[in-house]
Amino acid sequence: MSPDVSRTLNALGLLAISLVLAGAFLDQFIMHELPCPLCLLQRAGFVGACIGLALNIKFGPSPLHYGLTILAAMAGAAVAMRQTLLHIAPGDAGFGAAILGLHLYTWAFVVFTLIILGCAGMLLFERQFDRSVRVAAIPTIGMVALAVAALMAFGNGASTVLECGGGLCPDNPTTYELLQKSAPPAR
Amino acid sequence: MMSLPFFGFFASLACVFAGKRTASIVLFAISLGVMLLLFKLHATDPLAVSL
Repeated sequence: MSPDVSRTLNALGLLAISLVLAGAFLDQFIMHELPCPLCLLQRAGFVGACIGLALNIKFGPSPLHYGLTILAAMAGAAVAMRQTLLHIAPGDAGFGAAILGLHLYTWAFVVFTLIILGCAGMLLFERQFDRSVRVAAIPTIGMVALAVAALMAFGNGASTVLECGGGLCPDNPTTYELLQKSAPPAR
Repeated sequence: MMSLPFFGFFASLACVFAGKRTASIVLFAISLGVMLLLFKLHATDPLAVSL
């Protein structure tokens, strides 16, 4: 696999993770399901997984970059697994709506696992790390993927500030705290 | 507080755009550390179990 092909695949992976984060935003703004603290940390795991892929796109593929993505995905998977286990007791309704029978935190664990497996698969191809192979300029899809990932990172940060203000988030959020505080008092 | 990992990762991506690889990796490591610290604080969120 040449470095250019690897960068294109990394760009597609970055777009796929951004799509997952966009789906989370859809659930938040369309279904009005505010993310809980563990939900936010899973989103952070996805954003963190984008960094390694972004580094591959900009600077060329490197095992270190894949390692960063794997570390972030492992952290996100740990949070997702923790939330799954918190709601695994019989009779527990779980947190939020289920999609195709699984809650979002369970789907998150599946996706984090796929990210780790994807990185493992990419690491099998050594030619992408060959620095003697001439590397073309960053492909357009790479620039688009980088921009979308940055937008998702900032958007999630801003949304978290609106929801939780400057402190820790409530365990079961129901409103955007910062908007509540700034709203004029009811007469 | 909860937004720190997101803005840290955003800064890391900004460093990628700017061509600063080492700074990007350092910011990633700090943000991941903050994320894990927040996980430690929230890992014992109360169970919603009705038995």
